[in-house]
Amino acid sequence: MKIFNLPEKENMRPGHLACQGCGAALAMRYTLKALGEKTIVTIPACCWSVIDGPFPYSSLKVPLFHCAFETAAASAAGIRAGLDIKGLEDINVLAWAGDGGTFDIGIQALSGAAERNENIIYVCYDNEAYMNTGIQRSSATPYGAWTTTTPVKHYKNRPKKDIVAIMAAHRIPYVATASVGYPDDLIRKVEKAKNIKGTKFIHIYAPCPTGWKCKPDDTIKISRLAVETAVFPLYEIENGYKYILNIKPEVKKPVTEYLKMQGRFRHLTEKEIEMIQKEVDFQWKRLLEKCNQN
Amino acid sequence: MPISLSDTLHNKTGTWRTFRPIHKNKLPPCNKKCPTGENIQKYIYLLLNKKYEEAYREIKKDNPIPSITGRVCPHPCESKCNRGEFDEPIAIHHIERFLGDYGLELKDNWEIEEKKEKIAIIGSGPAGLACAYHLRKKGYKIKIFEAENEIGGMLRIGIPDYRLPKDILDKEIKKLQEMGIEIETGVRINHPLDLAGNYDAIFVGTGAHISRKMGIPGEELDGVISGLEFLKKLNLGEKVKIGKKVAVIGGGNTAIDAARCALRLGAEVKILYRRSRNEMPAIESEVEEAEKEGIKIEFLTTPVKIIGKNQKVSTLECIRMELGEPDESGRRRPIPIKGSEFTLDFDTVILAIGEKVDLKLFENIETTSWGVKTDQYTRTTHEKVFAGGDCVTGPSTVVEALGAGKRASIAIDCFLKGEPLPVIKDKKPVTIENINLDYFERKKRKEPEKIEFNRRVNSFDEIWLRFDEKDLLEEAERCFSCGVCNRCDNCWVFCPDLSIIRNEEYSVNYDYCKGCGICARECPRYVITMEEER
Repeated sequence: MKIFNLPEKENMRPGHLACQGCGAALAMRYTLKALGEKTIVTIPACCWSVIDGPFPYSSLKVPLFHCAFETAAASAAGIRAGLDIKGLEDINVLAWAGDGGTFDIGIQALSGAAERNENIIYVCYDNEAYMNTGIQRSSATPYGAWTTTTPVKHYKNRPKKDIVAIMAAHRIPYVATASVGYPDDLIRKVEKAKNIKGTKFIHIYAPCPTGWKCKPDDTIKISRLAVETAVFPLYEIENGYKYILNIKPEVKKPVTEYLKMQGRFRHLTEKEIEMIQKEVDFQWKRLLEKCNQN
Repeated sequence: MPISLSDTLHNKTGTWRTFRPIHKNKLPPCNKKCPTGENIQKYIYLLLNKKYEEAYREIKKDNPIPSITGRVCPHPCESKCNRGEFDEPIAIHHIERFLGDYGLELKDNWEIEEKKEKIAIIGSGPAGLACAYHLRKKGYKIKIFEAENEIGGMLRIGIPDYRLPKDILDKEIKKLQEMGIEIETGVRINHPLDLAGNYDAIFVGTGAHISRKMGIPGEELDGVISGLEFLKKLNLGEKVKIGKKVAVIGGGNTAIDAARCALRLGAEVKILYRRSRNEMPAIESEVEEAEKEGIKIEFLTTPVKIIGKNQKVSTLECIRMELGEPDESGRRRPIPIKGSEFTLDFDTVILAIGEKVDLKLFENIETTSWGVKTDQYTRTTHEKVFAGGDCVTGPSTVVEALGAGKRASIAIDCFLKGEPLPVIKDKKPVTIENINLDYFERKKRKEPEKIEFNRRVNSFDEIWLRFDEKDLLEEAERCFSCGVCNRCDNCWVFCPDLSIIRNEEYSVNYDYCKGCGICARECPRYVITMEEER
């Protein structure tokens, strides 16, 4: 009576250093299931440079290259070039970076690689702040959230950067959002990306119980609510223009259901929640228009 | 360039854990509610995997006559089905009937280890048959004494063909006889202890067969018949005289069965019941079906006098009632409204206001005001005599009798072995709050078809057809499988620490499990519990 049908083979091992209930650990597990063992991963500074394990240990069954913070896309492009010269074109190159290394510090290298349409898969696992260094605000932190650098009195008052739109604007062949709450959808997208030549960008929603101040067992429930409230919709963009909506909730749930599960939003007043709701509704309407849905 | 060549398996992250997830199956509410303790969740699971024979054998562990209960049981299991709080309960009894019918075509190969003890059973109704079945499985020699000339007790004489065709009953009885259960018909036992010399234990399942009288003038008139007698004659193929306008008095199952039979014999039928619909003891769905077939029910009405013409029923004088305070049965007591008398014309009156137990059979054995006194294990005040079914409870359902028969078999087995009785544990069943509803979509309940309406009201043909196989599987798929793992894989899918081991049963690799609890939270059916580490 299976609900999700995932590939059996694991390309990751336990004993890794992710916190309890880590969404990023699940994101990697699913992504490597989809890509298989013929994969090289390059990881800049981010939670995963710790999760993998200290030198000389690694929790991945595939080669992993630790690169500098701003160089995920550049190092991936370099690895790709090296493999291509050796004629190893069937090996996937995966740049695996957090939101800090993607939205902020790595965006120049990413934009460059995308503009050149390097044949790589770039995954940003998004836990919406610099979690590894102690929960500092990033440009992926959503409006209203508490972080250690946006304390309750001065909570973040700018919206989350629309990285998907930025990447689509590069007119690369494939951009998609995915979520650890929808593993079958995530795996399908990674498999799809694997078979496309050029730059593929996948934005994976990966809850962080430690930084979001939620219970570790809430990870999947929150991921689902993010989709059901349209805070984090699941969609794909082909060639920079063709929008495909993957999951359209029958009834869009109110954002407060999503917000109230997380301590980082606890300070928000009803009025502020109402504002967030309006913004979510507006963005959802825009997305539906782009996907030609009503 | 430094290269890591070792893995992280040495790093036993299980030491981080403060709570540990444990896969532990729990009790589904349907199983708990079934008086004969069927493992309903399990047979639905087996059925879903198209293991029909295994599913049938699973029911047979607890229920000797599934094709019969699949037809006549009021399915208390469905009333507690958690799915009922979400959309509609699973059609458990149609599934049971499908499997029961499937099993009728199969051969039961019993490997019975014979014991020397002999047990006598008085009455071949559901209680007696169940007790015989379970004891025979254990190897005891069984002899059933039946006062009537035919086997089955109330199953035969009380239940009309449109609910339970006789050939189904015959096939189930034949299956029991094939196990080596001996049944002698036409022998009336006057007292259970008459058999004490030849048998090691005696089970009494004689039922409740005495029709209550109303105590109103005119009950002796021609055209007045008791509900049970009417059904018995009809079911045994005897001639029954019935008029064109029939009144049935009562609100229990006998009243409804008698009314629907009279309708099928071509009469215009009206039921008179002294309380309101809420207090009716009959199976709710049967009442609804009766009304659909065109039977009128006059609630809050009772006859006070049967008026005759030439010694034949002609008119019923009735009075309207209102409901007062609840009586000892918990139902609100009907009180006649003065001056509300009125008359209705009928040529036949069927009295079905209840049946009593013949207590003469139980001299020197303690009785209550409605039946034999027993404990929950069916033990009477005489150590060799056990009793169950309607003769203990008063008129009740087939499945209650099956449950009593099963409990008696356990008690008799313990008595003969000199072992203590097992403790009956009251386990808490899984509730709707325990189910993770995110994993289920609302879906309409599927049921089999019924025969065409005209054929239904003009014949005694069975009403319900068998489940279509495709619909059956779709219906079974709706089952939440409350509290019992059905290998959905969710715990494995969502484990960030790759710590779920999937063997025959699922378990947790505590070397690495950090105790995040996602598996327990995302288990759709509350199999995994988080327990504090000590």
